[in-house]
Amino acid sequence: MKRIPLSRVGRQVTVVMLVIVTTILTACSASQHGSGPIHHYQVSNQPAAPAQQIFRRTIQSSPRTLDPSLSTGVPATNVLGDLFEGLTSIDPSAKVVPGVAKSWTISPDGKTYVFHLRHDARWSNGAPVTAKDFVYAWRREVDPKTAAQYAEALNPIVNAAAIISAKLSPDKLGVTALDPYTLQVNLVAPTPYFLSVLSNTYYFPLYAPTIRKWAVSWTQPPHLISNGAFYLKTWMINGHLTLLKNPYYWGAKKVRLQKVIVYPISDQSSTLARYLADDLDFANSPAFPPSDVDWLRHSLGSQLQIAPYYGNAFFGMLVHQPPFNNRDLRLALSMSLNRQVLSNKVGQGLTVPAYSLMPPLPGYTQQVPAWASWPFAKRLAEARRLYRQAGYSAKHPLRVRLLYPTGGPAQRHFMEAVTTMWKQNLGADVILWNEQWKVMLQDIQYKNAKLYWSAWIGDYPDPFTFMQQFQKGYAMNYGDFDYPAYQSLLARAQADPDNRTRYQLFEQAERVLNAQEPFIPMYFYTSDNLVKPYVAGWKANILDRHLAQYIYIRKHEEH
Amino acid sequence: MAALIRYTLKRLLGAIPTLLIIITLAFFLLRAAPGGPFDMQRAMPPQVKANIEHMYHLDEPLWQQYLNYLDSIVHGNFGPSFVYRGTTVNDLIRQGFPVDLTIGGLALLGSLLFGVPIGIIAALKQNSAWDYGPMATAMLGISIPNFVVAPLLILVFAVQLHWLPAGGWGHGRLEYLILPSISLGLPMVAYMARLMRASMVEVLNSPFIRTARAKGLPERIVIWRHAMRPALMPLISFLGPAVVGIVTGSIVIEQIFGIPGIGRFFVNGAFNRDYTLVMGVTILYGMLIILFNLLADILYGVLDPRVRFE
Repeated sequence: MKRIPLSRVGRQVTVVMLVIVTTILTACSASQHGSGPIHHYQVSNQPAAPAQQIFRRTIQSSPRTLDPSLSTGVPATNVLGDLFEGLTSIDPSAKVVPGVAKSWTISPDGKTYVFHLRHDARWSNGAPVTAKDFVYAWRREVDPKTAAQYAEALNPIVNAAAIISAKLSPDKLGVTALDPYTLQVNLVAPTPYFLSVLSNTYYFPLYAPTIRKWAVSWTQPPHLISNGAFYLKTWMINGHLTLLKNPYYWGAKKVRLQKVIVYPISDQSSTLARYLADDLDFANSPAFPPSDVDWLRHSLGSQLQIAPYYGNAFFGMLVHQPPFNNRDLRLALSMSLNRQVLSNKVGQGLTVPAYSLMPPLPGYTQQVPAWASWPFAKRLAEARRLYRQAGYSAKHPLRVRLLYPTGGPAQRHFMEAVTTMWKQNLGADVILWNEQWKVMLQDIQYKNAKLYWSAWIGDYPDPFTFMQQFQKGYAMNYGDFDYPAYQSLLARAQADPDNRTRYQLFEQAERVLNAQEPFIPMYFYTSDNLVKPYVAGWKANILDRHLAQYIYIRKHEEH
Repeated sequence: MAALIRYTLKRLLGAIPTLLIIITLAFFLLRAAPGGPFDMQRAMPPQVKANIEHMYHLDEPLWQQYLNYLDSIVHGNFGPSFVYRGTTVNDLIRQGFPVDLTIGGLALLGSLLFGVPIGIIAALKQNSAWDYGPMATAMLGISIPNFVVAPLLILVFAVQLHWLPAGGWGHGRLEYLILPSISLGLPMVAYMARLMRASMVEVLNSPFIRTARAKGLPERIVIWRHAMRPALMPLISFLGPAVVGIVTGSIVIEQIFGIPGIGRFFVNGAFNRDYTLVMGVTILYGMLIILFNLLADILYGVLDPRVRFE
């Protein structure tokens, strides 16, 4: 064999270089041949043929259960929304529309609801959906034997709380089937958002015979009987779920999709790759790594859908313990952060700066503190004054630990930016400390953390879902905020059946929060979706919920 | 033959205390981690929490839970998953393990088919381009982690060329298996090639090979009849644990390709404090390690007449 006149090391380096160059050349030549990652489509206005009405979407992780009573979390909600239907439902804009109930009446005191069920609502085995199915499901949800993690979602209903605490039997729940198609619900207090919570998973009806027959395994196909626009065909944990059109659904005529394939993908890079490889029609938020947003914006155009989302991120504090029992310090920390930089530079424009609690909500006017619109220099001067007034200085700086959950690099960069701002703007020494999510939750619940990252996604479109977290006695008021003016405003709002005056009370309450600053608002979330141009009937909405029954595939060609 | 059976039985009996230690350690270490399977940001009313803990016997004393657990695994029951409510750990393993077995098996087969011949050729053509080329590439294969290789493969073959899907399981259809198997198998090819080369070089320099050559045996017979068997020994001791590692799934590969195997249950199960799931997967892993080490030892005896099962 002829020896190559190269040193041993030299030869190895040559081979390494060759491999790298070949790989890069392959990738480049592929994109030059026009089959690059970005596809362009010629889309017609006509729906595609029924055989092509297949919709492939993602959810963030595999649902932990498909039992609507036991489910927690967004992924399960996204699947269950297609499988089941409550008394009310949502339209593509996430507005409440009639579901199984075709109409309802509300008593003047706002505490008694009577629902008239449609006669053509059917289970996926053809059996009629009746008022008894709701009574059965709701009683099961609050029954201590079911051990539903989120049973308290039914607390607005009379006796729910007592039944959950095993003080009453489940048949005492304030819900009655007056006849097969009339359901009466008695509420503890006027709950103007009740119609919207009825579209949530916890309020879905259940088909008792299948649960009695199959016990815990009733959620496995083919045992799962559902009443929504689709039924469950296959379910492979961490793999995919296949949903087929339910021919018995009362609105089946309008449902165009024949099949929905749901892929749980937790890795954002994988989600993006699979979307670009045309394995997906809809990549649900978070659909890509935040660092990719710039080139996606540039190259995908309207396929990239960034919209406000109903959630906020903030720093929580123990407001009765030093150092955060000092309002001036809380305000100084809040005012000294440049949220524009945090959201636009660090957060890649995928978050919206937040100066107060409430994310955007139709009908509600967000209450923003005056300092939010001051020039930053003026704001900083005021922050420094408050910091000094709270007793801190360069010689005697604030020293505290900021707890946050272990996550991706984006989270860490954000936290580093925040502590750097506090160091530069006030001279405060805030030390970052990250923990596994479960460990951190325990530290917060046991009050071991004085300052911690937190976030909340609203449960229903009403300010109370956010405001409640600062209500005295509420289990999630981890910071122990109990300022009297705020508490009395919340109590008055809760008793008020008129949404207009109620919202005014909430707005007042938010102003109290702004003045007291028992938490440091950071940003509002956005939903960051990728949707192929041939997907019709999809709309960005504040809850980021997209029922497949409104969606269809248009005729399209790649070019 | 009788000696072999006796030996196997002895080893299997000896595995019981090992497994018991693994189970005990895993059980108590898991419980020592802060936070429980049902802790959520949304605080549960105490009564609800008590109900759930009662349902899963978490309200019993720890020693009682431990004994109950031992009792149930003796009966082949790994218990209910705490996180995937309504699903048993047996179900999850039954669903996920065949997936890993398929991809792992393909990766293993591929790496044997490529790794062993490459190693042999490199050993035979020592210090030539046939040696340096593949060995340098192998070094690259070992040192580039699969979380780099896998996205690169996806980028080229799925996103750019559209030849293969970028992920998913697709009911185990071949096109879904190719990229994950390659990503999983590449470092193995490299490792096996280097291992094979090293052992072959050593064997070729040993006196009995010199004798065989001195007898005037053709090189083909020297290699296949005399050198091959002893040269395979290190590979077999490597393969024992490696097979287990590869068929129980790789968290990285499963995550990147969205494959529903059991590798992810290890890590996510631990994060979610799904005690029974992590225990189930750990026990499975332990049993396989013991089993495959035993197989490797038996193979030793088959390949090397000096080994006796006593």
